[in-house]
Amino acid sequence: MRRLLGAWAASAVVALAWLADTASACPSCASPLEENRQAFVDTTIFLTVVPLTLIGGMVWWIRRRLRAMEDAPQISVPDSLLRDAGPFSKGR
Amino acid sequence: MPDDALGRPYGIPVRREPVLPNGVLGMLIFVATEIMFFSGLISAFVIGKSNAIGGWPPPGQPRLPIEETALNTAALLASGVVLYFANRAFKKGAPNTKRLLGVSIALGGFFVLFQGAEWVALIGQGLTLTSGQLGGFFYLLVGAHALHVVAGFIILLYTYRRLSHDELDRFTFWPAQIFWYFVVGVWPVLYWQVYL
Repeated sequence: MRRLLGAWAASAVVALAWLADTASACPSCASPLEENRQAFVDTTIFLTVVPLTLIGGMVWWIRRRLRAMEDAPQISVPDSLLRDAGPFSKGR
Repeated sequence: MPDDALGRPYGIPVRREPVLPNGVLGMLIFVATEIMFFSGLISAFVIGKSNAIGGWPPPGQPRLPIEETALNTAALLASGVVLYFANRAFKKGAPNTKRLLGVSIALGGFFVLFQGAEWVALIGQGLTLTSGQLGGFFYLLVGAHALHVVAGFIILLYTYRRLSHDELDRFTFWPAQIFWYFVVGVWPVLYWQVYL
């Protein structure tokens, strides 16, 4: 049964690939103006890359800060001293 | 029981600074959404420009002041650089922090005023939001940025006030800087796309 399902799925993928053609509603494929078509391609790449870069960059930066903090020597500070300073207040 | 470097016994809980203060994380997420907002606007503009019949800028429309805005761009970039030095001075507790922050705010204010004057001149020449594709895109993109500059200007004024009262901490100053750097950083892209 599993083999049959697998064969059916593979056939469906091959059939879809065979049927795929230029989509008339897709401006990247069908615009009569070359400059316009290129603009659609460029902005599609741009809008795909920007969020990935933002999220990736933020994760990388947070990981780097976390590692730097873990590597830094820890000194135990009494609570009385912390209370005087306030919760991270006026910290420079 | 062994003692630590300060001669106190071990075992006292260590209170650590957060990896990223809440304000900074919140501002980073906000700026990320703003970058996507401006990316969408710029993309729409690029598509619109490429679709224009008769070339860009459209014939019969006023020309945008490239040279004057270059000067204004320099003022905004200088504002960002001065803010960077203000932060360095703030970290060291140097007395010139206030002066540097003041200069950064003044340069930001100059940018806003200059742009206001530019808009008045362009409206006088007939470039309005409804005069055509150029006007529509120009006021949308540059206007959206101008709103952000005004917001950043108010935030910097707030930090300046807190600094004057010796109440400014880095957890307030840091997010304000992130926002201002975003405002400064996005402008050259807009200038390149809209004006050049």
